[in-house]
Amino acid sequence: MSAPILSVVRNAAGALVMAAALAGRAAAQERVFVRPEPGTPVVAVQVVVGVGPADEPAAQAGISYLAARSVVEPSRAAFDSLGAHLDVDQQKDAIAFTLTAAPDAWAEATRLLMVSLFRDPVDSASVVRQRAAIVRELTAREASPADALERERARAVYGAEHPWGRPAVGTATSVRAVRVSQVDAFLRQNFTPERSVVAVVGPVDEAEARDALAPHMPAGELRADSVPPPQPADSTVDAEYNSITTWVSATWRFGADSDVEALRMLAQLALDRVSFGPSRRSVYNSRAEVVRYAGGGELRLTLVVPPREAAQWAVQLREAVGGYAGEPLSPTVFQDRLRRFRGERLMELDLPEQRAAAMARSALLGDRTATLVDFTRLTPERLRDAAGGLQPPIIVYLGPARSPAGG
Amino acid sequence: MLTLSLVLALAAAPPDTTRDRPKPAQSAPAITVHTQPALPVVALRMSIVAGDPPGYAGAGHLFQHLLLPSLEEQAARVGGRVQAIRGSDAIVYSVIGPASELDYLAGILRSALRVPAAANGAIMLQSLSALAGERASERETAPAYVRASLRSQLFPADLPAAGTDGAATRLQSADLADVWGEIYAPERVSVVAVGDVSLGAVERAFRSLPAASPAGRLAPDAADTLPALGADTPQATRGWIGSAWRADSAEPAALSVAARLLRNSLRRRMTRSTVEVEHWWTHQGQALALVVATPDSLTPAARRTVGGALATLGTGVNDEAVRAAAAAVRREMLFYSRTPERMAELLGEFADRGGGRDAAQRYYAALGTVTEDDVRRVLEQLAAAEAATVYVAPQRIPPEQRR
Repeated sequence: MSAPILSVVRNAAGALVMAAALAGRAAAQERVFVRPEPGTPVVAVQVVVGVGPADEPAAQAGISYLAARSVVEPSRAAFDSLGAHLDVDQQKDAIAFTLTAAPDAWAEATRLLMVSLFRDPVDSASVVRQRAAIVRELTAREASPADALERERARAVYGAEHPWGRPAVGTATSVRAVRVSQVDAFLRQNFTPERSVVAVVGPVDEAEARDALAPHMPAGELRADSVPPPQPADSTVDAEYNSITTWVSATWRFGADSDVEALRMLAQLALDRVSFGPSRRSVYNSRAEVVRYAGGGELRLTLVVPPREAAQWAVQLREAVGGYAGEPLSPTVFQDRLRRFRGERLMELDLPEQRAAAMARSALLGDRTATLVDFTRLTPERLRDAAGGLQPPIIVYLGPARSPAGG
Repeated sequence: MLTLSLVLALAAAPPDTTRDRPKPAQSAPAITVHTQPALPVVALRMSIVAGDPPGYAGAGHLFQHLLLPSLEEQAARVGGRVQAIRGSDAIVYSVIGPASELDYLAGILRSALRVPAAANGAIMLQSLSALAGERASERETAPAYVRASLRSQLFPADLPAAGTDGAATRLQSADLADVWGEIYAPERVSVVAVGDVSLGAVERAFRSLPAASPAGRLAPDAADTLPALGADTPQATRGWIGSAWRADSAEPAALSVAARLLRNSLRRRMTRSTVEVEHWWTHQGQALALVVATPDSLTPAARRTVGGALATLGTGVNDEAVRAAAAAVRREMLFYSRTPERMAELLGEFADRGGGRDAAQRYYAALGTVTEDDVRRVLEQLAAAEAATVYVAPQRIPPEQRR
């Protein structure tokens, strides 16, 4: 079987591009990616199982996350004894298991994880404990404005009936109602190697890493299910919330063919235009994100501002992004901005588990090279085209009731 | 003060590339490069191994407060990050960013070796206020207070990084160039670089350092006086018990393993309490410190358990437990140092306390050879030492204020 070749290559401009370039005819079947890093002190393993709300009956919202936490709980003590760290993160379209372990323990820890995920039956006591824990966590989070905004935003961007329009981890009510037998059935049906991608990063021998994973990850195409088309809100969403500030969120959806790296740079540049500064003292907080899902993704900008200024800041958000759709930046200005963006992107990958996560995510979305970063070939024109290709954003306000005069 | 439960060392890393300080010019720092080609980034850690001038405790940290905003702004231009830490051994600045920006990042660090241009009044006041806040916070809450109290008993010369109120008053009116002249000299500077860089490139980036300011201009009769901790009442909702023992001659790896075994043992026995056992290690010496927070009703029993902790551990220690504890410490070291920034921090901290530039690697290797006998020797040394102790009682709501 041909192995992916992970390499650091130089492009024509002399800049670095890191990619896991697949070689050979077996590339299409690849679901295991290995990035040997001799100087890195630990091994990070990311297992992404392509299971999420789209696989859940609406009445069992959150069963994916409950299943994921329940199935690994019995192995927690063993992970601890190996000095391994395991995190579980539910995303809209997948569950990510992040394992970090010392070089002498990673193989055993990974075996434990894979057996837990794909072979062990779920332990009913673990389900009961995890269900209670998740219900407690979600109940506590219900009062968080950040969580409330995310709920409203997801509903506005995808539609209330769309599986991605509801919280990826479910609600306290829906999780409380999930039965042990339902978790067992859900696991058997959905947690399979065919729906999974694994990325290994660290001081490993590639062949040995592949051998370690081979019993758990039989060769075969990645099985990916489609999700129904979104039904976004056709007007601004105004969600009332008992607070003294207003959260303003603007979300631009983009398609599968979009220039994601240019959109990432665009998000950072736009954020600079609306973040706190000498002329923007009323911006209490600001955030930019670009997230990718199968079929596309979202560029999100969020501000926290005084309620009376919310409407004007929504306009500012639109302009902060739209402003880059006109004339391309001059080469000098662009290079200055790119210099900063390049550093920020690299800093996002300074943990080995972040690199493993980026590779696995990229592979899950069909990138056969599992590219880590692709900023070196960015140009002013790519930036402009990325901004110009966006549809109008979906605006969500979360805060005290806004008077018509206040906008 | 290095806390080994938090700051842990290095893998079986390939030998570092090092360059001794050039002589006789000594205008360039000692450099250690640990190559990590995984990502085109570099973490640079620059330390100035120096204490604060007598009577000017907190001076090194004040300079960091004065400089940090400017350093952060410079690093942000290339998407990098800056950190400033005042430890017991050294004044430390770190920066991380793209490896292609090595010269620029090194320039940021070199700029921290110059006296801040006569700081404007507002920035000076802001920085002194930040130091005052740090001094207050050390006495405000029980966890910090217990550690500060134990440290002051075991290492009275090791003053808080934020200094003292008296020193702050002197610093406000002092000529900063005179103060800096007592702290900085090129031969006190060391650089650790971790990332996708070569020794030659790092050498070029640090080929010259600013000259030292003249020393000896500060008034020689100043002294630092630390207000007694006993006068403070830190906030506590549980009873806080602290015990610590100096162990300067203990083998460091064996002391770390003993600390881990003691932590494991106490956590098994004190399931309703929070137990931390730490290995403190600076150029001033070593100690094992035990900090326990316990519900009020369990305080008498907890104090008895802590009082007999060393003896109890001595009866139960065995080779298998020692090997497991040593392996756990080693794995934590690897986990902690998994970013270039932290690897640089780790290598630098081991070197700054005087162990040489391969001190971290030697410590990591030594962990693999610690035996039951080594741990017993450490326990004997601790048992023979005088214990520093502190107790913070939980604050109670007066009956008339209870609902």
